[in-house]
Amino acid sequence: MHPLIIGPLVTAGLSSILALVISVTDKIVNDYGEVSVDINGGKKKLAVRGGSHLLGTLATENIFVASACGGRGTCGACKVKVLSDVGPHLPTELPYMNAEEVEANTRLACQVKLKKDIAIEIPESLFNIRKFRTRIESIKDLTYDIKELYLALSDADVAAGGIAFECGQYAQLVAPPYDGIKESTQRAYSMSSSPLDKAHIELLVRLVPGGIVTTWVHTQLKVGDEVEVIGPFGEFGVKDTDALMVCVAGGSGMAPFKSMLNHILETNAYPGKEIWYFFGARSKRDMFYLQQMAELEGKIDRFHFVPALSEPNPEDAWNGPTGLITDVLDTYIKDKMPKGRPMEGYLCGSPGMIDACIKVMSKNGMTQDKIYFDKF
Amino acid sequence: MKMQRDEKAAAERMKPGVITSGGFLGTEARALSDIIEADEERFRALGIDFGSAADELERLKAEGAKGLGEQMTVGGRLLVKSDEARGSLPCPYDDGFFHKNSVTLELIATGERLAYSDLSIHLLREHHFCQGEGGAFRLAPDALKRLLLL
Repeated sequence: MHPLIIGPLVTAGLSSILALVISVTDKIVNDYGEVSVDINGGKKKLAVRGGSHLLGTLATENIFVASACGGRGTCGACKVKVLSDVGPHLPTELPYMNAEEVEANTRLACQVKLKKDIAIEIPESLFNIRKFRTRIESIKDLTYDIKELYLALSDADVAAGGIAFECGQYAQLVAPPYDGIKESTQRAYSMSSSPLDKAHIELLVRLVPGGIVTTWVHTQLKVGDEVEVIGPFGEFGVKDTDALMVCVAGGSGMAPFKSMLNHILETNAYPGKEIWYFFGARSKRDMFYLQQMAELEGKIDRFHFVPALSEPNPEDAWNGPTGLITDVLDTYIKDKMPKGRPMEGYLCGSPGMIDACIKVMSKNGMTQDKIYFDKF
Repeated sequence: MKMQRDEKAAAERMKPGVITSGGFLGTEARALSDIIEADEERFRALGIDFGSAADELERLKAEGAKGLGEQMTVGGRLLVKSDEARGSLPCPYDDGFFHKNSVTLELIATGERLAYSDLSIHLLREHHFCQGEGGAFRLAPDALKRLLLL
C-alpha cells in the first residue's frame, strides 16, 4: 500500500482507539450512579441518573423550569435555590446573580451538574407546567413581521384536560433543529388565546433578525406541522381590584392583552374595572387587530382602545393619535381619563418601552408597586 | 495565517451551538485570523476605522431605542429598530458579557439592511471581527461605509 494512504489510515486508527479509551474512561470515572433530587422539602423526590445538568434532568421528569436559551447558560432564567452543597458558583452563573442570590445559593439549573444527592427549592407552580404536543392549525400574517400561530393540542392532551392558564402567562415554543441549527431551541411567547379555549394555544411571533425560533416560525413553519409547547409560565396577570386598568403595548406585546380582553368579554370578569389600552406602532403597516379591538370596544362598555402611530405615512390617512405611545399615554392620563380613581399599569414590550412607560406612569401619580409588566 | 492559541479557543466558541445557536462564522470556510485580516485590509482600503464604525453603531442604537420597539427614521435616510431579548452573551474571546439585543438598520433608499448587537459592536471595536460572511450579524466593511456614511 502506498505510504500516502498508510499514514492517514494509521492516524485515523489511532484516533479511533484513543476516542474509545476516552469514552470508556469517561463512563467509568464520571459514572455518578443514581442521584436523589429532593424538591421543596420532600414534596417531590426524584431518583435520577447522575451526570447530567439539573435543568435537563428535571425536564425529563416533567418538571419544566423556565429557560429562554434552552440550557446554554445565556439567559439566566432557570434560577433555582439549591439547599445542599453543589460547589461554588461557576463563572458562567455569576453574571446573572445579585449578591442576595449568591448568598442564598441560587443557581442556574442549566449549569448545575448532578454528581450527588441534591435538595432544591422551586415555585410550586412549576409542578403544573406540562409539555404539549400540538399541530399548527393556522398561521396568519398580522403585519410584515408578526405572525399569529393557532395551535391545536393533541387529542391526548385535550383528553387530559388541555392547557390551564391565566391570562398574561406565556409558553415556550420548541423549534426543532433546522438548516445549520443542530439543537432544538426554545423561546417564550405570551399566549394570546383565551383560557377558556383549553384545546388551543395562540401565539404572536415577531421576526427578530438572526433569531433562531422567530426565523423558523417565519420561514419554515407551515399549517399541519407538529410542534411542542411547554407551559404555562409567568406571573403577569390582571389584579382583581376596581382600579383603573391602564395597559400599554407595542408589536407582539399585544398578545397578553388580547387574551385578557377576550376573557373579560366571555366571563365579565373584573366587573369594576375600567380598561384603557394604549397600543403603539410606527405606521399603519405595523398596526394590527384594529377591527378586533373596535369590536371589543363595542361589546365591553368599560373598555377604551387607543391605537397611536409614531411616524404615520401620508398614505395611512391616519386620524388617530400620533407620537410615541408614552407621549400619547401622558396626554390621555392628564386630559382624557377619569380623575381621582386608583390606577394600575399593565405593560408588555421591550425593556426600553417598559422603562419609558413606568416613568410616565410614575410622573402621573402611579406607584411602582401598582405597575405590572412582562418584559421581553 | 497561523492562529494564536486564544484565537483558536475563540474560533471554537464561535461555532454554532456554543454561545449562540447560529454561531458567529456564517458560512465561512476561512480561518478566523484570515477573516479578520481580510476585513482589516478592506477597512484600510475604504479609509475607515473600527472605532469610528463602532461609535456610529452605538449612536444609531441609542436613536433606535427611542422608538420603544418600533422603527425610527434617523437622519431621513435610515430606519433603525432596537430589539431586546432576555439574558446576556459572553464574548467568544472571553473578555466580557453583553446584553442580548439586536439593532436593525435599513437604508430607506435601497432597502439594504444590517443587523448587529452589543456583542457585535464589541467584536468590531476590540477584536476587529466583523463576523463571517453569510451570518445574520455580519458587518461587512463596504456595507458599513454605505449605511453609516463613514
